[in-house]
Amino acid sequence: MRPPADAIGTLSLIVGVIALLIFIGVEGALVYAIWRYRASRLVAGEAAAFEGNRRLEIAWTAAPALILAVVFVLTLGTMAEINGAGVAPAMRIEAIGHQWWWEFSYGGVKTANELHIPVDTPVDLEVTSADVIHTFWVPELGPKKDMLPGVTNRLRLLARRAGSYDGQCAEFCGIEHAWMRIRVVAESQSDFDAWLRTQTQPRATIETKAEPIFLANICVNCHTIRGTAAAGTAGPDLTHVGARATIGAGVLLNGVGRMRAWLADPQRYKPGALMPSVPLSDADLDALAAYLVSLK
Amino acid sequence: MTAIPLWVRRPAGERVGWLRTVDHKEIGVLYIGMGIAFFALGGVEALLLRAQLATPEARLLDPETFNQAFTVHGVTMIFLAIVPLLVGFANYLVPLMIGAPDVAFPRLNALSFWLSLIGGIVLYFSFLAGGAPDTGWFSYAPLSERAFAPGTGVDYYILGLAVNGAGTIIGAINLAVTILLMRCPGMSISRVPLFVWMTLVTSVLILGAYPAFTAALVMLFVDRQLGGHFFDPSGGGQVVLWQHLFWFFGHPEVYIMILPAMGMISEVIPVFSRKPIFGYAFVAGSSVAIAFLSFSVWAHHMFAVGLGDTENAIFSATSMLIAIPTGVKIFNWIATMVGGRLRMTTAMLFAVGFIAMFVIGGLSGVSLAVVPIDLAVTDSYYVVAHLHYVLFGGTMLGIFAGTYYWFPKMTGRLLSEVLGRWHFWTTFVGFNLTFLPQHWLGAVGMPRRVFTYAASTGWGPLNLVSTIGAATLAVAMVIFFVNVVRSLRSGEIAGDDPWDAFTLEWSTTSPPPPENFASIPTVTGRRPLWDRKHPESRDAR
Amino acid sequence: MIAVRPAVVTNRTLLGVAIFIGSEAIFFIAIVLAYVAYRDAGLATARATLDIGRTAIFSVALFGSSGTMVIAARAESGRWLAATILLGAIFLVGQGSEYARLLSEGIGPGSALFGTTFFTLTGLHGLHVLAGLVALTALLTARRRRPRALAAVAWEAVSMYWHFVDAVWVVVFSVVYLGTVL
Repeated sequence: MRPPADAIGTLSLIVGVIALLIFIGVEGALVYAIWRYRASRLVAGEAAAFEGNRRLEIAWTAAPALILAVVFVLTLGTMAEINGAGVAPAMRIEAIGHQWWWEFSYGGVKTANELHIPVDTPVDLEVTSADVIHTFWVPELGPKKDMLPGVTNRLRLLARRAGSYDGQCAEFCGIEHAWMRIRVVAESQSDFDAWLRTQTQPRATIETKAEPIFLANICVNCHTIRGTAAAGTAGPDLTHVGARATIGAGVLLNGVGRMRAWLADPQRYKPGALMPSVPLSDADLDALAAYLVSLK
Repeated sequence: MTAIPLWVRRPAGERVGWLRTVDHKEIGVLYIGMGIAFFALGGVEALLLRAQLATPEARLLDPETFNQAFTVHGVTMIFLAIVPLLVGFANYLVPLMIGAPDVAFPRLNALSFWLSLIGGIVLYFSFLAGGAPDTGWFSYAPLSERAFAPGTGVDYYILGLAVNGAGTIIGAINLAVTILLMRCPGMSISRVPLFVWMTLVTSVLILGAYPAFTAALVMLFVDRQLGGHFFDPSGGGQVVLWQHLFWFFGHPEVYIMILPAMGMISEVIPVFSRKPIFGYAFVAGSSVAIAFLSFSVWAHHMFAVGLGDTENAIFSATSMLIAIPTGVKIFNWIATMVGGRLRMTTAMLFAVGFIAMFVIGGLSGVSLAVVPIDLAVTDSYYVVAHLHYVLFGGTMLGIFAGTYYWFPKMTGRLLSEVLGRWHFWTTFVGFNLTFLPQHWLGAVGMPRRVFTYAASTGWGPLNLVSTIGAATLAVAMVIFFVNVVRSLRSGEIAGDDPWDAFTLEWSTTSPPPPENFASIPTVTGRRPLWDRKHPESRDAR
Repeated sequence: MIAVRPAVVTNRTLLGVAIFIGSEAIFFIAIVLAYVAYRDAGLATARATLDIGRTAIFSVALFGSSGTMVIAARAESGRWLAATILLGAIFLVGQGSEYARLLSEGIGPGSALFGTTFFTLTGLHGLHVLAGLVALTALLTARRRRPRALAAVAWEAVSMYWHFVDAVWVVVFSVVYLGTVL
């Protein structure tokens, strides 16, 4: 199967060329008419009084109709193709949109904001929302799909090239709609298997100093770190947050310094986000930031 | 010379004042004044948005302010600027064009204006009362439900638009009855000026579409204030119901906004080509086709919602179909110019500009009917580009054409052609600078309604160009404003018929007397004034 | 007696009222469609709580008021007009008692989906009946106080609106009440 993005690209090219030809033709006729029939360059006298030409009008109604009929047939073909008609998905991943982050579930194994898929593998993303309408959109990977609460939609993804693909939410979903970014990582089957294996495990390190800080604060109300008592589900799963390239759904790159800044004052970077600022001492912040980044 | 013009000449002592007038010409001016004022407000909102987006990760506007600004910008431009401007011109011109002394229901006419205005004031009052609505001009559920929009902004949206909508519906009834029952002797429906045809069709669209929106607003009100579940999945409702109702209104709404402007340029182009419109029947007939079809295309705004491939295909077909009657008008206008003697006045420049920009907006619109392309670029800046090409490049340029054409009739004075040219070219350059780059931005992934964007996306440079374009447009508006003010004071006196035009409004004084005509005329063709001036070469119909 | 009946297609007022009725019809169609879309989800509640018999009786009052209105308009009769108003008021009182009963059983616009759709649809209709009663009363008052200023078209215009309100109830009653037994 062709990657949906490629199918759309081909159709866009065809439609684009047709549009360009029409554009040149019509604008050209307009410019010509203005130049040729300017009163200043014509001899005196009134204009010809022809008011209509039935055959001409029928012709220029039929011609666009014909072109559109052709485009419509091509449309139907591409629609079927990008949905993966006749090609069964090799895996299904659940994607749930939240204000303002992404929850991904691989058969119950949860992660957030960064989606990994194997290359050359048709993947069905089953999308829904936990609150308002969001839209999953990674332009290089294909079309977008709305995520509606109470409904499950399906989006076919297929990456032929390994690498990172960026996208973001495309349905206005509230104050931080602009910072609901997605990163999709397409990798070889073996790399993907290794990644999923890691994701399935509980948290990587047994940390004795920072973990109690996490568990003693309100962090646990919203976040899960598997392997600890923290099992909140209102916010992203943090079991392997250290392995992700960004934090805050793309608002900051990952790293100890930025993690610390985020923890100190999330409202500074994402005003309106549902994560409150928790007053912590400098030492606690240092420890917590290092701990979270170590959760790979 | 008095600074405030006497729009309608009356014997001394007969003026009732702007607040109590029921004269269609004065009400028309009130609507136009309202439209100009709200256009300026909407423009300021746009400039704020563009200033914030000029550079990546800017902190000029916080997200909440930005979201209120783009919401109010959309609502303002559509409901409080464009529709009142178009209804204003229709109010002023339709009775004059059909040889009638006023509209069918003059007092209802006044009521419809005041309701439209009060609706707008209620909406803007929200800024002082806890915050303006911030859920976008189409206010999708469930974001607009109490749970996610707990403030009163959305409630002001509901109330303001319900009141404004009532005014528009009443206005449409008035115009429809006027056109159907008050034409002067000899003016059959196939002889009315095309602006009148478009107004009739637009009225029908308003009457079919606005009530559906009112129903949606009522349902949202029930959800928000009475605990209802129309759009609440946890209570058994479906969020998609809002979208169906909204776009069933929303799509005809865009034809409500474009058809009268098409009517305006259908008046301007023949006069400045010195020829009758090419294919009157086709142009009139195509507007009727558009009216029917516009109620069958709504879900092309919902291709990504997941309705299903069959449903998407049907709406794709109807959306491509509606492109045909919309597009062929362009050929009619060009054919009108071919063989003519073109006078490139400012009105004609704007009319030609309309055609040029509408071609682009129309082509991007048809591309959006192609479902897979739409799924790539919907909800992105590509759509923002498309909608501004048809609503600004189309409707607003058409309104400017109408302004330069009919200002002399309304005020007795001509607008300056020199300033007019500066206005046109600054607008043309500024407009394209603002919106052409947005096609590309959408195609490479910039979504709509984002208060900022990451520097790593590389969207900065094109956004900066777009903002510079917006600033240029602001300059163009200033030029226009200066033109209007100076011409009101000391513009060249126009006389009854400065353009050597064809239709009845030019057969009376500028401005017209209260009763419009000294005596009700009888017509024998589509261009009654032409027939009067050239009895030896009357029109055949 | 009226010598020549004003016609919808030539009289401005009547055409205006007819067009207004058309736009109100679209409004009601939208609300009815929402009700129908959600009908299945609320059917059990509807069956359990609606009292078809009682509502049918009050509906007869409303339907009857259309009949009395026809007679009233033809004869420009104050008595038959008053009868119309009375029957319309009986209908509203009946609706009000139905609302009271449902609310006391815990069914309101906020309770469940059926409550939301039922109260919205019938409530909006009730508001239109109320507006109609106001118009009828205004007609009655004008007939008594300023009979010569009252145009023949006024009877016709108010009649059209009143029949419309009645027709909407035919639809609503069928969809909401009769729909529970189908």
